[in-house]
Amino acid sequence: MNNIAFNVALPLLTAFLLPIISSGSKSATRFVGPFVLLAMLWFALAYFNVLQHPVAIALGGFLPPLGISFHLDNLSLLMAALIPLMMLLLWPYNNREGFREESLLLLLAGAASGLALSGDLFNIYVFYELLSVASFGLAAANRTAAAFAATFRYVIISGLGTVLALTGIALIYTQTGTLNLAHIGLLASQLNNPVGLSAFALIVIGIGVKAEIFPVNGWVPEVYSTASPRISALLAGLISKLAVLVIIRLLVVAYQGSQALTLLLVLGMLGIIWGELSAWHSKDLKRMFSFSSIGQLGMVLVAFSIPGDAGMAAGIAMMLHHLVVKPGMFLLTENWNGPIKKLKGAATSSPLAAFLFMLFALSMIGVPPLPGFWAKLLLVTGLVEANAPLYIIALVVLLTATVIEAHYLMSTALKIFSRGKKKHFKKLLQTPFNLTIATIFGAVLLAALFTLTPLGNKLNQIATESSDRSLYIKTTLSLKLPPQVKQQVSKVQ
Amino acid sequence: MTTLDTLLLFSLLTVLVSGLGVRLKMIGWVSAIMFAAQFVALLFMGGLGYGGSAIESSVSLTILNQPLSWRFDSLSWFFALITIGSALASSIFAAGIWAKKFHKHDGKPGLLQFAIALNVFTMLLLLASGDLLSLFVGWELVSWASLLLMVMAGGSSSQWGLRYIVYATAGAMAVLAGIGLIYHLTGSFSYADLANTAATFSSTNIVILSLLFIAGFGVKMGLLPFHLWQAGAYAEAPGPGSAFLGAISSRMGLYAMLVVVIQLIGLARLIAIEIPFSFLSLRDMLMWVAAFTIIFPTFTALRQNDARHLLAWHGIGQGGYMMMGILVLNPLGSAGGLLHVFNYASNQAALFLAISAVVYRTHTADLNRLGGLVTRMPLTFVVLLVGIIGLAGIPPMNGFVSKWLIYRSLIVEGMPLLFVATVIGTLGTILSVYKLIHNTFLGQLRLEHEHIREVPWSMLAPMLVLASVVFMTGFMPGLVLDWVVSAQAALGIPQLAHTLGGVESATGNLDMIWITLVLFGGFGVGALLFYSGNKAKRVHQLDNYAGGHFLTADDRYHYSNNFYAGLMHHIGSWYRGTFKWLESSIISIVSLLSGSTQRLFHSFHPALFLLIAATLSLYFFVG
Repeated sequence: MNNIAFNVALPLLTAFLLPIISSGSKSATRFVGPFVLLAMLWFALAYFNVLQHPVAIALGGFLPPLGISFHLDNLSLLMAALIPLMMLLLWPYNNREGFREESLLLLLAGAASGLALSGDLFNIYVFYELLSVASFGLAAANRTAAAFAATFRYVIISGLGTVLALTGIALIYTQTGTLNLAHIGLLASQLNNPVGLSAFALIVIGIGVKAEIFPVNGWVPEVYSTASPRISALLAGLISKLAVLVIIRLLVVAYQGSQALTLLLVLGMLGIIWGELSAWHSKDLKRMFSFSSIGQLGMVLVAFSIPGDAGMAAGIAMMLHHLVVKPGMFLLTENWNGPIKKLKGAATSSPLAAFLFMLFALSMIGVPPLPGFWAKLLLVTGLVEANAPLYIIALVVLLTATVIEAHYLMSTALKIFSRGKKKHFKKLLQTPFNLTIATIFGAVLLAALFTLTPLGNKLNQIATESSDRSLYIKTTLSLKLPPQVKQQVSKVQ
Repeated sequence: MTTLDTLLLFSLLTVLVSGLGVRLKMIGWVSAIMFAAQFVALLFMGGLGYGGSAIESSVSLTILNQPLSWRFDSLSWFFALITIGSALASSIFAAGIWAKKFHKHDGKPGLLQFAIALNVFTMLLLLASGDLLSLFVGWELVSWASLLLMVMAGGSSSQWGLRYIVYATAGAMAVLAGIGLIYHLTGSFSYADLANTAATFSSTNIVILSLLFIAGFGVKMGLLPFHLWQAGAYAEAPGPGSAFLGAISSRMGLYAMLVVVIQLIGLARLIAIEIPFSFLSLRDMLMWVAAFTIIFPTFTALRQNDARHLLAWHGIGQGGYMMMGILVLNPLGSAGGLLHVFNYASNQAALFLAISAVVYRTHTADLNRLGGLVTRMPLTFVVLLVGIIGLAGIPPMNGFVSKWLIYRSLIVEGMPLLFVATVIGTLGTILSVYKLIHNTFLGQLRLEHEHIREVPWSMLAPMLVLASVVFMTGFMPGLVLDWVVSAQAALGIPQLAHTLGGVESATGNLDMIWITLVLFGGFGVGALLFYSGNKAKRVHQLDNYAGGHFLTADDRYHYSNNFYAGLMHHIGSWYRGTFKWLESSIISIVSLLSGSTQRLFHSFHPALFLLIAATLSLYFFVG
């Protein structure tokens, strides 16, 4: 049952072996990556099928709180399966120049899987660092001056963020004496003081750099508009969600107090306002999507700040929706980049791409019956049910932001569908490769539309499970634990 | 499979067929036949028009533990009849020779049929909604489907479409907030729960709910101050598309408002709420909103120089009459409001089709470039004449009956100021429709129009049918009043006692059969005198002289430019300017804010933000 550890080990190992493999055989370099990702997907799905209830795994037999432990529940396995899946979709199949990008992507896959599955803060920190390093390399992968400049910005803010997060983790350690999440959960009462909450704030802001949380997202528009669309899609779609996942885990096990939730709510609201307003102002498609991504992650954060199952369900729904829609949108920007004005006639030159743009845009605005609407509905009902003044303000912000969103997305759409000059059509053609992948994302969205009922049931199940604090603690404690921890458990119970 | 399922299935099929065959030449006629099939399917549900009980759809869904269901009651049936009727007329008009010319000028006739079919389907879904969630789904679908119809002509229409969709999204978000609040209060989205618990809502909640819903649904009705988008968006669509949109699209807002505010929450609650520092109740305030919605857009219509825009501005004003009548809430008023939905739709569809016919022949809708067409297009003239008489609310056409009911109800309820307001609105209507018919059909025929002919039968037939509907339902309003009364029953409001010829009750009598016969008797006497006199000599319009000069084609003696200059001078343009100013100031604020948010990202190093955020949040927890 321990083969889920391969999901971390295998890609990391391959990433380091890839330079050696590529010196041997060029074609092997191209096949080994996808093969590893397929294996990862298979392991994750195999677990998904047999999983009846959450399981904890102590790697190498070293037990928590000192050893490495993995926490497997529906949410972490879902992310573990989505990582290779997204990588496979956004893999540079047409890259014939060596191994750098492949190697970095595999590093990213391994680190991301570790982050999704880890049950303790120290490992989360390590994997997060690894993830950062890989993403720096990827952001600068196309080696333009602009990309380097943007990545430099990204490196600095991300580095500072990591320091903050590490400080936060250290503070938690001083308060509880442990870094295992379940153990922290047991001792949560010791964190309900200014020091404990400060630790949470530092971690949220530190990790929030990757989660595009306001205001530590200054790198987002720069990096996304200079990196290749595939990398932007990956960072915006997948990596931001993993950072959010860390915050949710901490929130569920240790910070159910209203203060921590208020922090998330306020940051989320500011993110929505900031992101959507800036997106409205942008004159270029990539920047528009980057800013709207900030706004969407603000909505995700607002959703998770709603206490209880309702918030969890809304948050996960928003997260998954964004994970499908935003990469699809970024993939369309390859040849549609530059001033939006120049998009006139794009629909005539690439009708499929125009249709996909419209589909993604409508779902993002939340037009029923597309999946985006149901995610937004969950958010709206959650906010109304939370029934506190700040949540009502958040509702007003959310609804106003939707109007702004509708305006800038539709004004772009109308440009795309308006008549243009024939001589520009060639420039606006989509590359077949990106278009195919974007079509797959579109098809996933439509498939979700036709399976809303079962998806909704599954979503509720995942939400109930992952917002259950005692379940999380019990799962890890079902391992054979050392006596001093058991003593604490019995004291608490 | 219930009859409702059949109807929805037919409608969906129309969408699919016209969507798949969008490039085919025959698709116009195929769609028209399929609209006719929908009409027949609707007639099979005809019992609903005469007080039949609601028909459920056998389709229902449960998404995220929320049930969605669909059903049709008499009110839905009444609105569906108008929807499919106007779609059928527009579709036939667009199916024949009109499509060929449209295609030649880079238009897509197949897409037009598809857009109309999609609109009809989404409207039927909205009308059939059986709970608040399916209502919202239908509402949004209708909003986005009409965007397709509005922007398909390209050019300036896409700017109008963008403006529309921003207003519509804002409205939808208000509705969503309202539905969210109801969910919080009742714990479900079902109509029954809302109707049962509405009495227990606090007054504050009622005020919030009614403002959210009326603002949200009011956007589509073009209620003041949310009306700026409508005229352009409807007018710039391809001709038959304008006819369809103008006839029914914004009535969907009225339908939704009827269901939520009148049927479920109940107007009694609104009457009971006093607005502080005034002697008005919430209901009275809404009636004044309706009154201003009648007056301002109607007088704005007067200033238009494009026939399509002129008609579209009237659409906003006539919506005000419907809302006014319904808010009076006596049997006369609500019947008048509902009847006006039907009457206005028939007038507006006829008028827009007639103007489209003029555009088809002359390639312009500019009121300064037309004139004298009555000799060339006599049947279109008749249709337009019938239409404007109906729109202005003059006997014997149907518009008179509904407006009479509304006036009468205002007098009976003792609301003289509102009555004056509606009469002022009617005055504006009469003036502007006279401008319409004068500048297009009367006066001097332009030289370039010397050789045009009447439009072909595929276009004339739907126009003539609509005109005869306008006349027949004016002659025998009881035909439609039967359906209206059933709709009143479905809404749970007092019903009007009516006869075939009109109304016969203690609060007022109206017999249109009698009035029409007297009127035509008068005409008959006039005609007798006219034809028994000397034989008239027909001359060409240029075979004429004025002021001792012979007239040539260069002499323009057709007064069309700057119509009603004196009146315009007195009215001024301050009111329209106000709303435009309001709109542009909102845009400026958003633009200012967004500019500064983006600039802030650029002008400081991101690390600074990190520092600030960390400090502030530490202060939040520790301080």
